[in-house]
Amino acid sequence: MVRFHRVRAVLWAMLGVALFVYAVADRAIAAEPQFPPLSGRVVDEAGVLSAPTREKITGWLEQYEQASQRQVVVATVKSLQGYPIEDFGYRLGRFWGIGEKGRNTGAILLVAPTERAVRIEVGYGLEGELTDAVSRAIIEREILPAFRQGNFEQGITAGTGAVLRALGWNGAPAATNAAPGGTVDGLVPLGFIIFIVLFAMLRHGRHGLWIVPMGHGFGGRRSGGRFSGGGGSFGGGGASGHW
Amino acid sequence: MIRALFRHSRHIFLLSFVAVGLSACGVNNVPQYDEKTKAAWSEVLNQYQRRTDLVPNLVETVAGYARQEQQTLTAVVEARAKATQMQLPPDILTNPAAFKQFQENQTALSGALARLLVVTEQYPDLKSNQNFLSLQSQLEGTENRIAIARRDYIGTVQTYNTELRTIPGRWIAAVLYPDAKVKETFTISEQAQEVPKVKF
Repeated sequence: MVRFHRVRAVLWAMLGVALFVYAVADRAIAAEPQFPPLSGRVVDEAGVLSAPTREKITGWLEQYEQASQRQVVVATVKSLQGYPIEDFGYRLGRFWGIGEKGRNTGAILLVAPTERAVRIEVGYGLEGELTDAVSRAIIEREILPAFRQGNFEQGITAGTGAVLRALGWNGAPAATNAAPGGTVDGLVPLGFIIFIVLFAMLRHGRHGLWIVPMGHGFGGRRSGGRFSGGGGSFGGGGASGHW
Repeated sequence: MIRALFRHSRHIFLLSFVAVGLSACGVNNVPQYDEKTKAAWSEVLNQYQRRTDLVPNLVETVAGYARQEQQTLTAVVEARAKATQMQLPPDILTNPAAFKQFQENQTALSGALARLLVVTEQYPDLKSNQNFLSLQSQLEGTENRIAIARRDYIGTVQTYNTELRTIPGRWIAAVLYPDAKVKETFTISEQAQEVPKVKF
């Protein structure tokens, strides 16, 4: 009986040590930056976008996903926490799991105003269309000129539109270097369409007919139609720019 | 008859209990982690191969504008040849000498490419050439992919080696997987490998 007790004590101690080692090792490996929560398709942590712009871009991204099952997300962050943007970008993409699981069809437009850095992070599955060279061209031509003038709204809007066009979606108006007023005409019907689509979806949602193209298996948690990543991964595709 | 069946079912129950218990305590960990390191390694090779494939085009484009940089160009071509000529032995991951050789060859190519890109800074015509810009962004992207593939590989090997060297994985491996060996991982820092970014 005494022996049994001793054996049991030793076993418990071993379990304790194992758990401790596991916890320490786990923390050592997971030296990751802190990421903002994925609150929607446009995560504006840095606060550089106005509400209408945010909604407009969210609408495009939503329509695009419905048309193609692919996820594109726009993120602005307050800080890269000392990481190079290439390093931060792919970790963020994996953390959020943007894109369809297994096919990795996601992309992120990441803007870090503090570090004056921008990156288009491309998932494995989209690297064929949104190549490094194309991403670089979008950054140089559509995004950086506006950013250099401090106009984040225009740079992000034009950049997102160009990314979606490169991915074969023509729903976003080509607003390259156009005067701010010039794009309004084209946007009215688009806003109207988005409104109709959103309205229709909300109606369906009430009746339990909401059909979400990605993230199957999250049904219960996502019944309110909140956006979440599909579990895609990233391997460093895309391009970066600085201004 | 009924009693025999009962005794039999008890054995089955016991056996399934043992099986579940064993898999829960990680009897399959070693082969599972092994497969993960292999997958991560093939991604590393894949990305290095991608860079190797970019080099001839890049060299040709640069040579069109900067013939006088023959020395730098030759260094890149030679480093590439050395990296591609090396026959990778099947046991490279558990063969320290071969792994070191592989790493050194790839690092030499990284260095030669970095020097080539620095040299191109002096040629405005080249820097505005669309083909060169495209190749340059592909090279940058590939270097980035290599860095990530290496990091992922290091992570999987860390898990695998830890399993092999710690109890109970060590005991399980000694009994069930006597062939399993600790694997090699990258030692030269990524910084040493990084191609300097070219600003416009």
